[in-house]
Amino acid sequence: MKIKLYTFLFFLNAFFLTAQEQKMTAAEITAFKEDVNVVSKKIKSLSTDFVQYKHLDFLSKDIETSGKMYFKEPSMLQWQYKKPYNYSIVFKNGKILINDEGKKSAVDIGNSKIFGRINKLIIGSVSGNMFDDKEFNISYFKSKGQNIAKFLPKDADLKKYIKQIELTFDKEEATVVQVKLLESSEDYTRIVLKNKVINAKIDDSVFTN
Amino acid sequence: MQKSTIQFLLINCFLLLILVSCGSVAENFTPKKLEKTTFEVPYFSDPKIDYVYKTNITVYGNDISGIFIAKKINDSIHRVVFTTEFGNKLLDFEISDKSFKVNSIVSELDRKILINTLKEDFRLLLQKEHRITAAFEKDGFDIYKSKDQNRDNYLFVSQTSNKLEKIIRASKTKEKITLLFNSENNIFADKIQIIHQNIKLQIVLQYLKSE
Repeated sequence: MKIKLYTFLFFLNAFFLTAQEQKMTAAEITAFKEDVNVVSKKIKSLSTDFVQYKHLDFLSKDIETSGKMYFKEPSMLQWQYKKPYNYSIVFKNGKILINDEGKKSAVDIGNSKIFGRINKLIIGSVSGNMFDDKEFNISYFKSKGQNIAKFLPKDADLKKYIKQIELTFDKEEATVVQVKLLESSEDYTRIVLKNKVINAKIDDSVFTN
Repeated sequence: MQKSTIQFLLINCFLLLILVSCGSVAENFTPKKLEKTTFEVPYFSDPKIDYVYKTNITVYGNDISGIFIAKKINDSIHRVVFTTEFGNKLLDFEISDKSFKVNSIVSELDRKILINTLKEDFRLLLQKEHRITAAFEKDGFDIYKSKDQNRDNYLFVSQTSNKLEKIIRASKTKEKITLLFNSENNIFADKIQIIHQNIKLQIVLQYLKSE
């Protein structure tokens, strides 16, 4: 009797899981990757608002911060928190420039492998073009109106910090609407991107900090 | 004769200097009648509150910033997490008066001396109840002395606002750590400074107001 109940619950569970998120077929994966590649190839610049939710299992509420992000080809990036504090970080020409409530500092990352990786990861996450990355095992899912790509790091060093990256794409636009970085099964950072503007003119001075 | 007088004076001055610097932290305090045996610090004591702070750490001229999170998870233990602004966890502790457990720490910070320093700082910061052994007053503060192993903690409570504004952790002769609190509501501290006297380490915590 007990076994029957468990079997029933298992199938019920599986049913609801599949109802929310389904694995893509090989053909769907090919089509999805193609869509994203076409869009991301066109991205010369990008600006977007974001809201970041830091979820820690023991907290009663997620920690919410928000701001604006700018990207310009080939690899200039500014991540700017405006609420509840002013903190911005620029990745440019092998350097990280930080402005923390007016207190400025710079880190020369030069050939630092890990920072190069992080830079590539952020730009890849936002533009969506991460499918050729050999550092991850990628799996693909679909749900209503959205496509989801899940990236599992292969590298042991990277694994220590990131268990999984989940990129959620709007099905119509084939652009990223949410980035989720899982540190463990309980703790993650979820970044929701909205008011995205593609290829508007962004002056280089934005990336000075 | 005159030369030896000067020498004598100089030696006396040095002796005085040594004696002064060897004096106890409480030397200039005026003793007061001890009216209570414990002091309760309100700032991290409510298990319903997520205590979240923007943090700046200056250590030997290097700056590190991030988010400091503390939460009382049961009667005696606080969970303490420090993350970057992006949310990556740098360290994750569970700490009480008697116990200490590292849940995770990034390899760059995994140094025994650093962990021990932070353990002492956080324990002092999060400790709710202090057993008082003596009371003093000075410059508008009631000062309560509490013994903690081989150290003494001095708690400075403003006589006008009745808020805890400072804790000094000292050896018999020297101040080791100073904690400064600014609190509007006496429920949590809006700003906290942790200053070390013997190493170049300062931690500033600014309360994050959620909207």
